[in-house]
Amino acid sequence: MTLASRDIRWSAGGRMIVDGVTLEAAPGRMLGLIGPNGSGKSSLLRLLCRLRNAASGVVMLDGRDIARVPRRDLARRLAFVEQQATTEIQLSVCDVVRLGRTPHRAALASWSEADEAAVTAALSRVGLEDRHDQLWHTLSGGERQRVHIARALAQEPSELILDEPTNHLDIQHQLSILSLIQRLGITCIVALHDLNLAALFCDEIALLHEGRLLAAGSPETVLTEEMIRTVFGVTVAIRPGATGRRHIEYLIDTGRDAARALEGAKG
Amino acid sequence: MSHAVHGPNWPARFGIALLAVIALAVAVALAVTIGEMAIPLDTALKALGNGLFDLDLPVSAIQQGVIFDYRLSRAVMAGLCGGSLALSGAILQALLRNPLAEPYILGISAGASTGAVAVMILGVGGTAMTVSAGAFIGSCAALAVVALLAAGAGGASDRVILAGVAASQLFNAATATIVTTLASAEQARGVMFWLLGNFGGVRWPDLWVATPVALLGFGICMLHAKALDAFAFGADAAASLGVAVMRVRIVLFATTAVLTAVMVSIVGTIGFVGLVIPHAARFLVGAGHARLLPACLVIGAIFMILADILSRVLVPQQILPIGVVTALFGAPAFAFILYRARTPA
Repeated sequence: MTLASRDIRWSAGGRMIVDGVTLEAAPGRMLGLIGPNGSGKSSLLRLLCRLRNAASGVVMLDGRDIARVPRRDLARRLAFVEQQATTEIQLSVCDVVRLGRTPHRAALASWSEADEAAVTAALSRVGLEDRHDQLWHTLSGGERQRVHIARALAQEPSELILDEPTNHLDIQHQLSILSLIQRLGITCIVALHDLNLAALFCDEIALLHEGRLLAAGSPETVLTEEMIRTVFGVTVAIRPGATGRRHIEYLIDTGRDAARALEGAKG
Repeated sequence: MSHAVHGPNWPARFGIALLAVIALAVAVALAVTIGEMAIPLDTALKALGNGLFDLDLPVSAIQQGVIFDYRLSRAVMAGLCGGSLALSGAILQALLRNPLAEPYILGISAGASTGAVAVMILGVGGTAMTVSAGAFIGSCAALAVVALLAAGAGGASDRVILAGVAASQLFNAATATIVTTLASAEQARGVMFWLLGNFGGVRWPDLWVATPVALLGFGICMLHAKALDAFAFGADAAASLGVAVMRVRIVLFATTAVLTAVMVSIVGTIGFVGLVIPHAARFLVGAGHARLLPACLVIGAIFMILADILSRVLVPQQILPIGVVTALFGAPAFAFILYRARTPA
C-alpha cells in the first residue's frame, strides 16, 4: 500500500466538495480519477497531497497520517503536477526542473552532483534533454506539461499526482503525455476527462460523482454503460476496442438528449 | 536562476563581491566629495581616517564636520535605505507573483508614515513608543488591510495591486488628517518635507538602528532564497515542493514591513526604488533569488546614493526631496514594466 485515504471530507463555501472518500492507490500502478465537472476531482487530489487539509478523515502514506509528515519530507516522496501552472518570471527549462530539487536541499546548500544528476535524468525521461536552456514561455502546451512532469520527477517521488495533465493538448500530445506517465513505473494518480483515454491507459479507475466515490476498480468493472449513464447522463455503447482495452462510443439521440449527450461528452 | 553547474564557483563569487564593494565605495566617495562645498578626495579620505580611526590628520573642522557627520552618514543611510527597499520589492514581487508589487505601491510605506506621524504629532504610545515602532505598527496595519481587501476581492494577484492603491489612499488620507488638524504650522512643514523623502536630517545614531535592521532583514531573506524560487508557479506549487507557505509568507511579509517601517521612520516615503531595482537586477543576474537578493541590495544602495547626490546638485542652492528624484526615474520604468507585463490580446 502506498497512498490511501480513509473517509476524507472537505467543504468550501458551505458546500461539501469531497464527501467521505475512501480510496487506495496500488503501488506502481496508474489510477485514473474520472467524474463530471465539479465532481471534486481536483479537490480530492489536493487533499491527497496535503495542499488542503481534510476536515475529517485521514490520508495515509505507507500507513502514516500525512498531516503529521513534515512538508519537506512529504515533497521528497510525493510530487504534484498542477493543471496548466505557468509563470511570468523568465525561467529556462532547466531552471524549472531544478525547482524539483527544492525539498532535497538545505536553505544554504549549494547545487550538488546528485541534484544535477536528478535534473538530467528527469529531463531525459520526458525527452527534453536538448531543450535544457530554452525559455519557459517559448514552449508549447505539451512541452510545458512535460517540463512540469520532469520537475516532479526531479523530486524523485515514489508517488506522482497529476491534475488533468492532458487538458488543452491536441490528441497526439495527450497520447504521448499519458504513455509517458504510464511508463514511469511509479504510483500515479491522474485526473482525466476523456473516458476512452482513461480506459486505454489506467490500470485502475475511480469514479467520482458529487464528491462521493461511486466505484473503483479495473476499467472493465467501473466503466459500464449503466454507470456512465447515471453519472454523466450520456448514453454509450461499450465494446472491446482494437487495443484490447474497452472502447466507449457516445450514442447521440435526437433533440434534447442529443444536446445533453454532447455537453456530457465535452465536459 | 543559478547556472553554476557543479558547486559554487568561489573565485567568481569573490570577484563579483569585490566588484560590488568597489562600486559601493566609488558611490560613497562621490557622495562625500560632491556638493555645494566641493571637497577633494584626499581631504575626504583624511576626514574618514579621523572619524573612523581617531587619527589626527590635518583637516579643517568645517570640512571634517561636513564630510564625516553630514555627508558620510547621509550616504550610508541612503545606501541602506535603497538596498532595503529594493530587497522588499523583490520579496513582495516573488510572494505575490506580481511584477508591480513593492512597499510604496502596496501602501506599506503609506501605513508606516501614518504610524510614524501618529507617534510624532499625537504622541501615541507615550515615551515608550519610538517613531520606528509606530511606523512598524502602521506598516503591519497597511499589510493587513491590503491582505483583507485582496482576499475579499478574490485573491488573484492583480487584485493585490488594486488593494494596495486603496490602502495607500486610506493611509495617506489618515496622515493628511493628522497633519492638517493637529500639527502646528512648523510641525506640518517638517512632516510634509519628510514625507517626500529626505536624507537631510540623518545623523550617525539613525544608523545604529538602520544598519542592524537592514543586515538582519537581508540575512532572513537569503535564508528563504530557495523557498522564494519555489513560488514561481504559485503557492500550491511551492507547497508541493515542500515549502511551508504560511510560515514563509508570515516571516517574509513581517521582514518587509520592518525594513520599510524603519527606513520610512528615518527618511520618509520613497517610491519606485522597490519596483525598479528588482527588475533591473533580474535583468542582470537572472531570476534566482540566491543571486537576485544580494544584487538588489547592492544595486538599490548604489542607485539611492547616486539619486541623493542628484537631489543635492540638480537645483543649485536647493535640495530636491529624494522621492522626487526616484520618481523621475521610476515613473518611466513603471510604464515600461506595465507595457512588458501586458497580457497578450
